[in-house]
Amino acid sequence: MLPFRIDFHSGEPVYEQVIYAAKKAILSGVLAPGDRFPSVRSLSQELKINPNTAHKVVAALTTEGLLAVHPGVGTVVASGVSGSAEERAQVLVQDTERLVVEASRLGLSEEQLLNAVRKHWRKLNPSP
Amino acid sequence: MNAIECDALTRHFGNVRAIEKLTLQVPSGSIFALLGSNGAGKTTLLKLILNLLRPSSGQARVLGGDSAKLRADNFQRIGYVAEDLIQPDWMELSAFIGYHRSLYRSWDLTLESHLRAKFALPEGIAIKRFSRGMRMKAILLSTLCFRPELLILDEPFSGLDPQVRDDLIEGILELTAADSPCTVVISSHDIAEIERLADWVGILAHGRIVLAEPLTELQFRFRRIEVVGPDVRQQMPEPAPAGWIRAEATTPTLIQFIHTQFNTHTEAELRSMFVGARIQSSPLSLRDIFLATSKPSLSVNGLLT
Repeated sequence: MLPFRIDFHSGEPVYEQVIYAAKKAILSGVLAPGDRFPSVRSLSQELKINPNTAHKVVAALTTEGLLAVHPGVGTVVASGVSGSAEERAQVLVQDTERLVVEASRLGLSEEQLLNAVRKHWRKLNPSP
Repeated sequence: MNAIECDALTRHFGNVRAIEKLTLQVPSGSIFALLGSNGAGKTTLLKLILNLLRPSSGQARVLGGDSAKLRADNFQRIGYVAEDLIQPDWMELSAFIGYHRSLYRSWDLTLESHLRAKFALPEGIAIKRFSRGMRMKAILLSTLCFRPELLILDEPFSGLDPQVRDDLIEGILELTAADSPCTVVISSHDIAEIERLADWVGILAHGRIVLAEPLTELQFRFRRIEVVGPDVRQQMPEPAPAGWIRAEATTPTLIQFIHTQFNTHTEAELRSMFVGARIQSSPLSLRDIFLATSKPSLSVNGLLT
């Protein structure tokens, strides 16, 4: 079993969808530093994706410093990954962009969008 | 290196031009999805590649040799999976597997036992009594286990339930994840599955290749564009520029089209074409790309890069 789930949707490149899910698992702490990351083979088998795509995912995450290759052990989550607030915010970049695009398409102002976000935030985090 | 090269490959059946001066390269190690409407010529093309049909003219080269000269020994390295192909179908599974094992020098016993456990096929009944899904599993089993360098699958998933499809895909991925990966050509209508599996896509229409390129490049250059702004309909260029298809001013403030040659400069070009308008681009699914390129009315010229 993989430590993250992906509901593939058509249209967005498979590579980007896998990268996104893996980053979310790493930066949210589901995968901790030192944990083993799935091999190219098991990514390909479990997600039913092309092995070249799986290989590119692991290579890109390694280049970004999220994964480290330990000879004899395999690929693990890098020890330097702190999951800082800034890094965690990175995971939402795509969703944020999509939200901003939709809002400007509807002709909302920045203030109106922020108000809508605040309203939902307070629904989930009611102040005491 | 290319596993397959077709050069002006042509096959006519009487007056029917099934394959017409077709040129195609399938890179070694790729999983190549061959898409096309019914009657586009997919099965004919695959049979020409396998020397099951002779070309009327032109040539296909397969693993470095002329396809018309393929002999039994070459088929130690080439696997072909099609629904109607299972032979000998009066055998039970063990005898059937044993028969195929005896034909191939490179038969992999470890892979055989792994796949037999995974596929969980019934023993003790003749293969001809198998369901469609079981038959496809049995024929894939008999093909994967000799670890072909080139695997050709003609519509392997059609009419199968999702569990059987997943089993078949996992079986195919067993081969491609190996150290010396094999080249896989799959013709299929199940585009959602193919989108995850393939790294190359070829689209066939009326016996010709409309496009053949890496999936990532294809998904980059095909974009759905929306131009939103006051009076954009009046700025709609006539005729539509090269590379635009399905261009339409849907309302006075909205133009929609599919850009088939999107690149890093496109958004800037559109912004200077439609001053003050908002430009939005979004990627297309492989299914939508396929539908956009296989409309009979469409001129093929604008699509080729």
